[in-house]
Amino acid sequence: MRLYRKEGNTIQILCFPNESVEKGDYLQVEDPRQNRALLIQVIDVQFASIPGILEELLRDSTNNGDVINGENLDPLNVASQITLIQDARLIICKIRGTIQNGKLSVSSAWLPSRSQSTIKKLSTKTLTTVLKINDKLPIYVGETKEFSPLKVDATALDGKLNIVTGKKETGKSHFSKLLVLSLIDHGAPVVVLDLNGEYAHLGYTSDCKKNQHYMKIHVLTPSSNFKVMLSQIKLRVMFNILVHALNLPGTSAREFRRIWRFLKEHAKLSLHELGEAIRNWQCNHHVKDALFSRYYTLVNSGFFTDNPSEAITLEDYFQKIRTGGALVVNLRDTSFVDRQIVVEYLLGKLVEMLTGWKLKAVFLVAEEAHLYLRETYWNDIVTRMRHFGVFTTFVTNQPDTIRENIYRQADNIFLFNFTNAHDLETVSRAAKVDSETVKSIARDLPPHHCLLLGRVVKDFPIVVKVRALDVQTMGQTRLFFN
Amino acid sequence: MIEQYQYTTTQKYNFPHTVQDFQLPQHFIQLSLRTLRNIKNSRLFQPNITKQLANPTAQTLEETTHLFTGPSQPKLKPIPLKPIRDETPVIAVDVSNMKIGETDIGILCAIRAAIVWKQKHQYRYLRLGPFPFHITEENKSEVYHLFRQYSFLEQPTLDYTSTLSLIYAPTRLGALLERWLQMSIAAQTSNSLILWDGSLTAGTQDAPVTVMSQLLETVRNRSNTVLAFTKITRLRLLGYRLTDYISRCTPPCLLEINGYPMALSNAIRLLGNIYVAKLSEGNCSFRLDIDRKLPEEKAVEAAQRLIGNELLMQSYPETLRLAHIYSTFTANEVIGIQRFLAQTHQLKIVTRPNVRRLLFGPFGKGPES
Repeated sequence: MRLYRKEGNTIQILCFPNESVEKGDYLQVEDPRQNRALLIQVIDVQFASIPGILEELLRDSTNNGDVINGENLDPLNVASQITLIQDARLIICKIRGTIQNGKLSVSSAWLPSRSQSTIKKLSTKTLTTVLKINDKLPIYVGETKEFSPLKVDATALDGKLNIVTGKKETGKSHFSKLLVLSLIDHGAPVVVLDLNGEYAHLGYTSDCKKNQHYMKIHVLTPSSNFKVMLSQIKLRVMFNILVHALNLPGTSAREFRRIWRFLKEHAKLSLHELGEAIRNWQCNHHVKDALFSRYYTLVNSGFFTDNPSEAITLEDYFQKIRTGGALVVNLRDTSFVDRQIVVEYLLGKLVEMLTGWKLKAVFLVAEEAHLYLRETYWNDIVTRMRHFGVFTTFVTNQPDTIRENIYRQADNIFLFNFTNAHDLETVSRAAKVDSETVKSIARDLPPHHCLLLGRVVKDFPIVVKVRALDVQTMGQTRLFFN
Repeated sequence: MIEQYQYTTTQKYNFPHTVQDFQLPQHFIQLSLRTLRNIKNSRLFQPNITKQLANPTAQTLEETTHLFTGPSQPKLKPIPLKPIRDETPVIAVDVSNMKIGETDIGILCAIRAAIVWKQKHQYRYLRLGPFPFHITEENKSEVYHLFRQYSFLEQPTLDYTSTLSLIYAPTRLGALLERWLQMSIAAQTSNSLILWDGSLTAGTQDAPVTVMSQLLETVRNRSNTVLAFTKITRLRLLGYRLTDYISRCTPPCLLEINGYPMALSNAIRLLGNIYVAKLSEGNCSFRLDIDRKLPEEKAVEAAQRLIGNELLMQSYPETLRLAHIYSTFTANEVIGIQRFLAQTHQLKIVTRPNVRRLLFGPFGKGPES
């Protein structure tokens, strides 16, 4: 391999086909005179632009089919070198840092010698050792290309905003489950907003036996084993549900506030009493109609109850997962509006507990969050709630449903394969890596291979084959012909 | 390294097929290897990517061949052609040479030949080479010994070693291989049309009169016909380019030129009748030489067989076009051969400074000597 050219932070390397280099590999350009090495990552492998190649290919293409057949008499086997030149590759790399005296820095303000430098592959194992990315609380993510295990540090997820994205059936949900279970293992509380009921059986092995996580996975299904009484709800939370989830107009919301306060003062805060109060409340009949329609939505959601034995106390569950566990909110059979009600309640309760220091922090895993999270919550989650201790991981196969500013603020991105240019363009806006790396590497990622970007890899993108889990993933699509 | 070669067997042809016929290529290969061995005395290698070396001898010859300026003006006779479709095989041969670089003691070059033949509507080819050579002042004599040995001359009349410089060595080696292939084809085929790239002008170092005469005799004895196509001719008649005279004729046709001398000088002889050929629609026409000793009707018949059995693009036969394409070196191949030489002989590649560039900076645009 020879150093060919450098433009900006892009380096081009010339190599022959017998020198196996693939996208995502790390190379070390050592300059013996400067006693340091440039650390670069391969983002694309192209054919080198060889003069006369077009003529050669055109000439050889006449061999195809029945047009012309022939033989080459090449006793010295010179052609082997010619074909080697034909297959010469140009490796496009991005500069990631500099290694000097065994220490890695992100500096790239120097240029190695083109004639003197030697280029060699740097194994991911060596890189991770240099990076020290698995120091404290290792999460075994999977295997590198060299089949060495890759572990990342769980503390790199702590207090961070993470995004897991990729197209369908590439393994995002599987990876999210791996993260959830690994966080649990390290004693972290995790709340999962489970849109498809995929996380409900994390406590079971693939052959339906209870696994070591069984006691730590708590599944709450709204209107089934997840019901609450109005008395458990703060006015602010109910107000958010009515205004944001049920679009209650301002005038009606003000009347509702009065009704709520009245009921609370008289210790009559129940679903039944709320309906009666709206019926008997002296107000404009349009307001009354608006309040009634919302009331019946609340009633029909099945999420609220007046029966204390049916209601749960969320605080108790949070207490259970406090030293490691997952609270899985199964939103699978919940309608769009009901999902929003549940999530508004859950997040409101979460903030309430965090502000009261009843809970230190929580990792929130939100699958396809655009299907239940109101617009204003996005910024709230990534800015305000983060300071309360809600560390969110968004999981989506539609990257454009996540706002650009969220990508910019994301600390870690776990990127799976995307082929759609629009999707790649969206993801490439992440501030953690240059867009060329994202577009080039993500496009060619095989299924179950993930490009790790951000803090977990100390901003040195690494491709990993996500390890298998012995849990009931339930993520498989139901098939008719099966 | 020396081995018995395997060739594609066709129903009628198998080029070449007797051990005797292999003598030259084997010597050619041996010579190639021997000349490369002396690279070990050299460690410098100035790679060179140049355009195909023009044949200086032939070029000079054509430049000076203003044969139609004598007291008696030659006459032009248009001959319309009717295609004869009888599946006569068409065979073409072409050889390319390329200077690959220089060592501190000599030059490195490569030779490659291609034979293409069309039979029963199918084209086939045999490509020989590339054969790399390292020619130095020391081994020059050995190289030219091969010339003497295989120049088909009983008594060589020229002292090659003293007259030839290294610069023309690739051309000379190429011409040698081409002559051998032409002879080989002539001797092993019959009732075929053999297409040559160039003219039937003899009397040069690469085309001695006796060699060319012997070659054409062999062709005739095997009932073959040689059609020699010259792509670019500078021959002029009454001030006009010879090929311009055929522009008014309806293709396919020949323009026969009569009444010009058979010898241009004591040395240079024209062994063929000169025609201007416009064999198909298009703007191009070519000088076509057909063996002078062949009756005129046979010569015309050969041209008619060509148009009846061969694909012609812009009046140029496809087999000859393919032979050129298969033999010619691309820039990539030159790099490949340079790499082969560097790898197999541990040559250290250096680029000598361009003196013109050094002296004149951006104004030094001329070729580096």
